[in-house]
Amino acid sequence: MNLNLLLPEISLCVLAVVLIVIDLLLPQGRKSILGYIALVGLAFPAVFTLSLAGVQQVSFSGALVVDQVSVFFKLLFLIAAALVILSSFDYTRRLSILQGEYYALVLFATSGMMLMASTRELISIYIALEFTSITLYVLAASIRNDAKSSEAGLKYLLLGALSSGALLYGMALTFGLTGSTVLNDIASALAQRGISAAAVLGLVFIAAGFGFKIATVPFHMWAPDVYEGAPTPITAFLSVASKAAGFALVLRVFLTAFEPAEKTWLPLFMVLAAVTMTLGNFVAIRQTNIKRMLAYSSIAHAGYVLTGLAAATAGATSGMLVYLLAYTLTNLGAFIAIIAFSGQVGSDQIEDYNGLSRRAPVVSLGLAICLLSLAGVPPMAGFISKVYLFAAVFDAAAKNSGLYYLVVIALLNSAVSIFYYLRVVKAMYFGPAATEESLHTAFSLRVALSAAVAGVLIVGIYPTPVMQAASVAAQVLFH
Amino acid sequence: MLSLNHFLLLGAVLFSIGLYGALSRRNAVAILMCIELMFNAVNITLVAFARFLAPAATASQSLAPVSTVGQVFTIFVITVAAAEAAVGLAIVLAIYRTRRTISVEDVDLMKW
Amino acid sequence: MESFSIEYLGLIPLFPLLAFVIIALVTRPLKRLSAYLSILAVFASLLVSAWALYSLVIAFLSHASGEALVKELTVTWFSVGGVALPAGLILDPLTAMMLIVVTIVSFLVQVYSQGYMHDDPGYSKYFAFISLFTTSMLILVMANNFLQLYIGWELVGLCSYLLIGFWYHKPEAAAAAKKAFLTTRLGDLGLLVGILIIYFTTHSFGFAEIEHEIKVGALSGGLLTVAMVCVFLGAVGKSAQFPLHVWLPDAMEGPTPVSALIHAATMVAAGVYLVARTFEMFAASPDQQALLVVAYVGGFTAIFAASMGLVMNDIKKVMAYSTISQLGYMMMGLGVGAYAAGVFHLFNHAFFKALLFLGSGSVIHAVHDQDMRNMGGLGGKLKITFVTMLFASLALAGIPPFSGFWSKDEILAGAFEKDTLLYIIGAVAAFFTAFYIFRAMFMTFTGKYRGAPAHDSHGSAGGHGHDSVHASASPEDELRAKVKEHASGHGEHGIHESPWVMTVPLILLAIPSLLSGLLGSPFMGMAFQSFIEKGAEVHEELNYTVMMSSIAIAVAGILLSSLVYYFKIIPANLISRPLPWLHAFVLNKYAMDDLYGWIVNSVVLGASRAALWFDQYVVDGIVNGVANLVGAAGGALRKVETGQIPNYGLAIFAGAVVISAVLIISGSTL
Repeated sequence: MNLNLLLPEISLCVLAVVLIVIDLLLPQGRKSILGYIALVGLAFPAVFTLSLAGVQQVSFSGALVVDQVSVFFKLLFLIAAALVILSSFDYTRRLSILQGEYYALVLFATSGMMLMASTRELISIYIALEFTSITLYVLAASIRNDAKSSEAGLKYLLLGALSSGALLYGMALTFGLTGSTVLNDIASALAQRGISAAAVLGLVFIAAGFGFKIATVPFHMWAPDVYEGAPTPITAFLSVASKAAGFALVLRVFLTAFEPAEKTWLPLFMVLAAVTMTLGNFVAIRQTNIKRMLAYSSIAHAGYVLTGLAAATAGATSGMLVYLLAYTLTNLGAFIAIIAFSGQVGSDQIEDYNGLSRRAPVVSLGLAICLLSLAGVPPMAGFISKVYLFAAVFDAAAKNSGLYYLVVIALLNSAVSIFYYLRVVKAMYFGPAATEESLHTAFSLRVALSAAVAGVLIVGIYPTPVMQAASVAAQVLFH
Repeated sequence: MLSLNHFLLLGAVLFSIGLYGALSRRNAVAILMCIELMFNAVNITLVAFARFLAPAATASQSLAPVSTVGQVFTIFVITVAAAEAAVGLAIVLAIYRTRRTISVEDVDLMKW
Repeated sequence: MESFSIEYLGLIPLFPLLAFVIIALVTRPLKRLSAYLSILAVFASLLVSAWALYSLVIAFLSHASGEALVKELTVTWFSVGGVALPAGLILDPLTAMMLIVVTIVSFLVQVYSQGYMHDDPGYSKYFAFISLFTTSMLILVMANNFLQLYIGWELVGLCSYLLIGFWYHKPEAAAAAKKAFLTTRLGDLGLLVGILIIYFTTHSFGFAEIEHEIKVGALSGGLLTVAMVCVFLGAVGKSAQFPLHVWLPDAMEGPTPVSALIHAATMVAAGVYLVARTFEMFAASPDQQALLVVAYVGGFTAIFAASMGLVMNDIKKVMAYSTISQLGYMMMGLGVGAYAAGVFHLFNHAFFKALLFLGSGSVIHAVHDQDMRNMGGLGGKLKITFVTMLFASLALAGIPPFSGFWSKDEILAGAFEKDTLLYIIGAVAAFFTAFYIFRAMFMTFTGKYRGAPAHDSHGSAGGHGHDSVHASASPEDELRAKVKEHASGHGEHGIHESPWVMTVPLILLAIPSLLSGLLGSPFMGMAFQSFIEKGAEVHEELNYTVMMSSIAIAVAGILLSSLVYYFKIIPANLISRPLPWLHAFVLNKYAMDDLYGWIVNSVVLGASRAALWFDQYVVDGIVNGVANLVGAAGGALRKVETGQIPNYGLAIFAGAVVISAVLIISGSTL
């Protein structure tokens, strides 16, 4: 047992507890300090995580694993958490959300996600997943006097609990059939005893539980409603970090434990990827609320990422990691811009974005860059990550010809997605403005947006370091 | 003599009853309770597996001898379910405060 | 070449990029400063480009050839695992030529824009966009690999979108911007597929490596043809070739200088550049099938668009169809293997067509109207515009020694040797070209002014509906109009020549319209072609038959145009009165007019109307249909989201059960 390996998670939880205590001591009106403490405090887990880079160790009787994959994901979660906290400064004050609890829960959720990325044992997976989920349920409902926010919380909670019921049942079956909860042992047992019908049932039910987290069809239906109702910074958090954490689990469980059952799940993920991206994109076209539109867009992106799992090669996995990072930066940027607009305009309807480029040129430019990146337009990160991922999937098509079709479907989908991203850009730049009065954006939001956009452009133009890290990490899962 | 299959069948039946309730009830609290039932069905399955598989396995790397892993899992499920229920009830209260109903049929401000 | 290091090439797009950033972030409120900054930046790029070209020309004149005229710089952009993506610059005669064309036209257009966009509220934004466009275009032409080219390709598309929709408050402009973006993207999809096919067979994005791989047979046969046709699809979209040409006429909703820069001289030529850049790959396809596709698409576009140019009344639309048609010529030239001729035409066309657009802009600036039926007689008022546009028109029509003649003639000569059908198509298109451009010139600059409010409107004034062939009802009407015009003054007095910032670029562009063709003429030993072919000896035998017939066709077109649009007015009024015997001749002329009118009406107009109809209903219909279908599917699918928690829960479990059932059943049967 080596506690050093857990330092990132421990420091996050300590930070969260410290926030709650300070919250008790602070007088009303001074609470905004909490946000700054949370943001600065993130330096500790960040440093601890970086110090673990390159470590390859298993601890806690095989429950905890620290490797390049977990470090990659942990840094991704920390980036997301930092941007979410920064973009909440203005938001929490405006909607009078209780800041102590809010920031503490964000930090708890982050540590939960970190655990999700670094376990390889079913019980720990379940606990980490629920730890994350329960904090997120509360965060989704955290605008207390808002009907939509509590509705989002209720929907997320009830459906999340249902899906964890499915996950648990699948885990129970898998445990029963293999006699172990450790992923490696499950793999060797499955390889020895073959894939029975019950094993398939267990596999699918586990996939359903994870599918809920990453919002893939047909387990996606909560996402648009919850994304629309939840506080926007939390929506951003859900759409990137929680999704990435789900993918971390999917990668570990399917590439390790269910590796002997590859023949069963490869076609499953191929079909899910195609259906998910198509449904997400098609329905997004008809949305009028930008948060809801981005919810469907995030479903579509989950479909794109899943293509990597359908290929199940080291290259494709590295593509998934790069794609997730690019998507995280881009989607966060888009949501930060939405927070900035909704704070001033008081609406999330796309029609209210008309003429915003003249009222808030900098924020509009940032949003436009992020939307174009989501659409996959060069030189933004979205483009290079799409190229990297789809090229790797295409490479794997030599052993599985269905992947050719999958790549074609993905490319067609990317073309379709241009429609709805461009609609927002068009409204901002060519739409008639209701007034010409210019909008003031909070400083914290400007900083957050600039950071996200800078990330999008840097990854888009010079992706080598990210790709190198991802490719090293992907090798770990395939040794 | 009760065999493993009997317990598994019981688990499956309970799980299905819980699922049926969760999908057919309209009262949010009732749905929460049905979900609890599903969790408990899983618990029965886990414990049964743990009990009947015990002699078969001696995994070297796992948490403990396999005989207790299922039980440990069950205890965690119970704990987590309690936490989930607490948060669930709090949110149901919040819903009730804003719209004076806890029927999930009426909780559909957001759709399409 | 020692004097110019390839690293300096990176500076060329850097200047306008800096200008874009500075204007966007800093000088936005300071209109004048933004414009100066942007112009200064592109001038700096122009100087560096000129230096690059100069170094190549010096090497060329000292008889360097082949690879000695090509400089490449390749660095690895990123490389991970099996995927290595290159970044690199290339400087060869083709790129040097494009660089100089882009920077010169961009520079002149920006100078001109200071006058044209004078009172526009989006003045700074306009220059920011133009700078961004220039950057993107320069990136495109100096890329030595498909990936970078594709990035530039998408960026110019984006800038084009922004600039077409620049006057966003006009719904037509917003619609046109969207149409342009979507239509060209359809082609881009083809390009992307083509690039991917090439990459997965040759494992390279670099042009030189791919050519090498094709030579050793990594990609050949039918797949190569398919790949190159996919690449060509990108060019079809960008260069507005049939059937993706529909966006370009609509794109005229943008400011006229933008049309001159993007939609005449540079961006639309990117498709031609792409084919030229990958010419070796096209030529390597079995039986040169890929080139054949290029040739026929180009040829058909040339005649198809020219026929539509005949009936347009909007001066910018005439220019738009003319551009499509001329791009078709370039494609045809490349397609028949006359590589240097196609590129030569691109070079010449960039100048004279930019001039025609800027001239049209000057006219529009003066009369605030784009309808040629409301113009006329402007030659006296807008002397500089008139004379410079005349130069450009002669170049376009193909009258020696103006520039267009030399390149067009060479394309036709190439077609003549390769394929008689293509030659005939090209020749007929050339006739149409001469006709429509002089029709436009006559309608705009000669005759009497028809657009004034004070004008007594009768038969000839507002134009008879669609077809100006019938614009004049009878000689008597003409006479009355003439008398009235002299007696009572009219609405012309408010019209005056544009300011010098606008006329100087016109004059500067008139010079290459006259002279640039000589670079590739036999008098200079086809120096241009030899240079573009990297110093290869070009000793083409002059095909005097083709040359003479080209001249004859151009003259005939102009002549017929003048009979219809010029002489119908002046001789009819001035000569018929004192000389009754001439009256009969004039009447005869009208009989010819009627005959021509009948032919035009029933045959040519019929055909071009059909083409127009095809455009509006079939091509647009398909594009819109697909969009509507996707939208409708989305609309139906979104109804699944009922907002009801139990339904969502059911979906989770029903999904899981169905998936398990399918997997178990399919697994047990396998």
